[in-house]
Amino acid sequence: MIVLMNRQQSGLLFILAMLLMMSACSQSADITPEGNAGISSFLESDDNKGYTRAEKIREFRFPEDHGAHPDYRTEWWYFTGNLATEEGRHFGYQLVLFRFALKPGRTTRTSNWATNQVYMAHLALTDVAAQEFKFYERFARNAVGLAGARAEPFHVWLDNWQVKSVNDDSGTWVLQASEENLEIALTLSPSKPIVLQGDRGLSRKGPSAGNASYYYSITRIDTKGTITLGEQRHQVTGLSWLDREWSTSALNEDQEGWDWFSLQLTNGYDLMYYQLRRKDGSIEPFSSGTLIGPQGGTTTLRAEDIILETRDVWESPQGGRYPVAWRMKILPAGLDLEITPYLHAQELDTTVRYWEGAVSIQGRQGDEKIAGNGYLEMTGYAQ
Amino acid sequence: MDRALALRRQKILRLASLRYLLQHPWQLALTIIGIALGIAIIVAVDLANESATRAFQVSMENISGRATHQIVGGPSGLDESIYTRLRTELGVRNSAPVLEAYGASGNETLHLIGIDPLADARQGSRFGTTEDGVIQELITTPNTALLAAPTASRMNLTKGDDFEVSLGGRSYRLHIVGLIKPQNQSAAAIEGLLITDISTAQEITNYLGRLSWVDLVLDANADAALVEKIKASLPADAELVPAASRSNAMAQMSKAFRTNLMAMGLMALIVGMFLVYNTMTFMVIQRRHLLGTLRVLGVTRRELFQVILSEALLVGVVATLLGLAIGVLLGQGLVHLVTRTINDLYFVVTVTDLQLSATPMIKAALLGLGGTLIAAFIPTLEAALTSPQAALRRSTLEAHTHVFISRLTVAGLVLFTAGLLLLLIPSTAIFLGFTSLFLLILGMSFMAPLLVMKCVHLCNRWGSTRFDITTRLAIRGISDALSRTGTAIAALMLAVATTIGVSIMIDSFRSSVVDWLETTMRADIYLSAPDLGSGRSYAALDTGLIRNIQSLPGIAGVSEGRQVTIESGALLTEVFALRFSAGIQPGFKLKGGDPPSIWKAYLNGDAVLVSEPLAYHRGLQPGDTIELRTDRGPQAFGIAGVYYDYGSEQGKVLMERDLYNQYFQDRETGGLGLYLKPGVEVDSIIEQVKALAAQAGQNIRLRSNRDIRAYTLQIFDRTFAITHVLRLLAILVAFIGILTALMALQLERAKEIAVLRATGVTPFEVAKIITLQTGVMGLLAGLFAIPTGLVLSQVLIHVINKRSFGWSMESLINVNELFAAIVLAVGAALLAAIYPSWKMTRTAPALALREE
Repeated sequence: MIVLMNRQQSGLLFILAMLLMMSACSQSADITPEGNAGISSFLESDDNKGYTRAEKIREFRFPEDHGAHPDYRTEWWYFTGNLATEEGRHFGYQLVLFRFALKPGRTTRTSNWATNQVYMAHLALTDVAAQEFKFYERFARNAVGLAGARAEPFHVWLDNWQVKSVNDDSGTWVLQASEENLEIALTLSPSKPIVLQGDRGLSRKGPSAGNASYYYSITRIDTKGTITLGEQRHQVTGLSWLDREWSTSALNEDQEGWDWFSLQLTNGYDLMYYQLRRKDGSIEPFSSGTLIGPQGGTTTLRAEDIILETRDVWESPQGGRYPVAWRMKILPAGLDLEITPYLHAQELDTTVRYWEGAVSIQGRQGDEKIAGNGYLEMTGYAQ
Repeated sequence: MDRALALRRQKILRLASLRYLLQHPWQLALTIIGIALGIAIIVAVDLANESATRAFQVSMENISGRATHQIVGGPSGLDESIYTRLRTELGVRNSAPVLEAYGASGNETLHLIGIDPLADARQGSRFGTTEDGVIQELITTPNTALLAAPTASRMNLTKGDDFEVSLGGRSYRLHIVGLIKPQNQSAAAIEGLLITDISTAQEITNYLGRLSWVDLVLDANADAALVEKIKASLPADAELVPAASRSNAMAQMSKAFRTNLMAMGLMALIVGMFLVYNTMTFMVIQRRHLLGTLRVLGVTRRELFQVILSEALLVGVVATLLGLAIGVLLGQGLVHLVTRTINDLYFVVTVTDLQLSATPMIKAALLGLGGTLIAAFIPTLEAALTSPQAALRRSTLEAHTHVFISRLTVAGLVLFTAGLLLLLIPSTAIFLGFTSLFLLILGMSFMAPLLVMKCVHLCNRWGSTRFDITTRLAIRGISDALSRTGTAIAALMLAVATTIGVSIMIDSFRSSVVDWLETTMRADIYLSAPDLGSGRSYAALDTGLIRNIQSLPGIAGVSEGRQVTIESGALLTEVFALRFSAGIQPGFKLKGGDPPSIWKAYLNGDAVLVSEPLAYHRGLQPGDTIELRTDRGPQAFGIAGVYYDYGSEQGKVLMERDLYNQYFQDRETGGLGLYLKPGVEVDSIIEQVKALAAQAGQNIRLRSNRDIRAYTLQIFDRTFAITHVLRLLAILVAFIGILTALMALQLERAKEIAVLRATGVTPFEVAKIITLQTGVMGLLAGLFAIPTGLVLSQVLIHVINKRSFGWSMESLINVNELFAAIVLAVGAALLAAIYPSWKMTRTAPALALREE
């Protein structure tokens, strides 16, 4: 579940983000990575030197691994969920906190503001009844308490957007974020154990060693709380999903983007699958996923286990065509699913533009009818 | 038919007018130059003022970005955790931390702004760099900075270079990772700007854990609840203020200074207007014959009026255009003088270029044209109203003038009385003060012609037997041609009076300052951490260094001072916290009250002292209280007494250090006064202190008592440098006035002189007549200038200065100065007489007579 991640772009993301922000404020010409040799050369020069890479299988420890891994270049805490009121008004939400290392190593300077780590966060809400999609972006440094991540007691935050453990032993978290007239306050109670993705948590994205991430998920989290829009407060319940991933480099140079699915089915099964697209139009054989059973048992899925077909395309007014509706067949499970977005326009026109939105699922497993909700993320389509 | 005739008549009139102007090119040129200079001074002063103010405002705007509000702290700034709470607890997204300081590198003053680039992007770019990887470098690499591109190019620096900057008495090496280029603002807006990440700023200013202020972008109406929430969340030492009120409070500081400059400029224009009046009168008088003839030939009054007024308009337009051009050139020079004064006295502002803006130009153009027309109106009216027969007769003119003079004198008396009455109004308005000042001097100059007439009569009566014929001729010529000489004398008198008045004011001021320095500066050596201008960054001395200096043998005692600016709402108050070691007598001169009991209350920390300007501006008296926003919240301090102080025109609160420490967290010391034991060499202590400072790595500014007095007076003189320049220009305008008047007068009398010559008067005697006449005119102007100048000086000292700055001073009248004024007036007049005399003596009598 990555926003953008080929070899240059992963580290580039942040710098690019800042440059775009700056150029938006000034009247200077747009700066694109291709158009600016300076950036690429700067990034090539020290590349990934000094950072730890996800090369081998490691032992995950909890709660420690809920916290930050600053020796790796990038990391995120990705919360998404589909919620509804009692009357059936449907909402999708996304709160993601990214950590980026600007430089390897720790600082030993005297100012409290000195740091090599910065955070970026995205907050989005899909209001199906209003046919409205809202998204927001924030940045802060990992210093003087402005942003950070702590394992015990769990707390990840940027400004007043945060997820933290409730002060008891229930393992429950609260998620809070507000911006403009939107306020989200949710209680999250995991109902399935932690799933280590890929090979015992090492998720390879390409053939070369080290182009991989450490990746775990909690795929089913009972969620209840309130979504406030202006004066209107909605009591909502539903399911959330957490993805945690950290890495130094992941995508290969020939990879262009991906389509990532997190699906929660009514039969108690959850499914994560990412399809990596190459620049030549072919699908990366390293595309993979996991099917998680009602009790938390997992089945690894490979590219050849999945058949994906585009059903509908949405053209972004900002440029780019997104395949927003899909038919997905999961051969080993005999699942045949129709995935349709709750809204077509769920593109985040943030520093880096991508589509991330709530989807509904209709399908069957053999003769049994199956439904569900999920989140779909698509990167590399923006033009 | 009638219309065709009228048109032709008008054409002839215009031709006659044009021909006249062209036949008297010198007169035309001098008038134009005189008015142009008057306008030029106005334009220059206004432009220079506005450039300085604009540069200040623009740099304020640039620094505060789009901020609508700011959270400000006490003397030691804000705790950085306030910002974190603002973000994480209140979720105030449109907020950005700022740490500000002034530094120096070579000759350049650098304005250091420490920012959080991540927060700043939301605030609207306050620096326009889009260079690669800059943000990353700023945040992660210590001592990296962005430097304003124009400043960098002057310093021969570019991206990738290192340079030394001195901040708060210590030197740091900074690495330039990018240049700040002007965005939609002018280059002046970013002049001297040095931007670093807040981490670097904290490290190089040694301001760890602190911020100067927090910028906020709030819609006060929409976010009213949020504003209240923010206010409620702030600790006692912090306050939320609208951003505009802050920059206004800063700009307000130099307002009185700028008003005074403007008044000086107006004075020059008034002198210029006299000149126009003078010239226009001449242009009418010289053509009386022609005008009379035209009227006899059937030209209507209305037509005559139109023609002469359009002549004035033509002169006005040409002079105004020329004046605007000269003004812009002059402004280039003045802007540096103004800026230097503002930097010396008020706040740091970097101005490199004169900002050409329309308002001062339009203002000056209107003043110039309007002034010319008003000044030309009376002579024009006179020309038009005079009956043709009367116009053709010479004698009516001077007879008429005498009637006019008595009216003028009455008007002068009325103006003078009005000016006096205005002074009696108890007010602190500077504007009222200037109005009465102008009424007074205008009144006195209106009375000048009558005085001239009386003096000449007296002189001639007394001299009828004592003077020879040429002298009597010369003197009588003045009153005979009073319509011409009167205004010239008035103009010169006004200029010289201004010189006298301003000189007396400056001398009095200076001697009061010297006196104040004597009583206040009692320590032998003064030592401070170099601080650039005021503002909210205060250089501090190393505490270890202070201890070491105190324990030097030879030191009898030490005074420790700390001066900070307290902001509350729109008010800025300077607080000077002082501690004297035992046995040292504080050297402040108290204004009234019982000194021992006042000092006791002060030293016990029961009450504070306020300086005279502060007491004046805020209407404070002993026994009142003054409220200051302390780190423990607003606190009212009792006032024990008022002391004389010329160091700050806003005024200061003098507070015992222990009392200060009770209310403020700040524990730094900005400066020391060292009192030496008898017989100890100042130089040897200076050497020892220097060595200690070098050891501590602290840059210090070290001045002996003598040096600091010299330095203070140097700043004083620098402040008044601009005044001297303006005074000189006013004299120049008056000089041109008298030259014009004399030339017109003498050339007009060509016939009279020719008759004299024909009757056997030698060219030498003619020259003597002319020189004597002008000399007497100069003498009269000089003599009348003395009382006028004295009145002017007293109004300047007791009204204008008091109302502008709140300083009281003893007036000091230097007789030499008065004598010099007379010499100046006579000298200017004689200088102006050279050319006309030369010309007259060379004219062959036959030629002059032939014109008959």
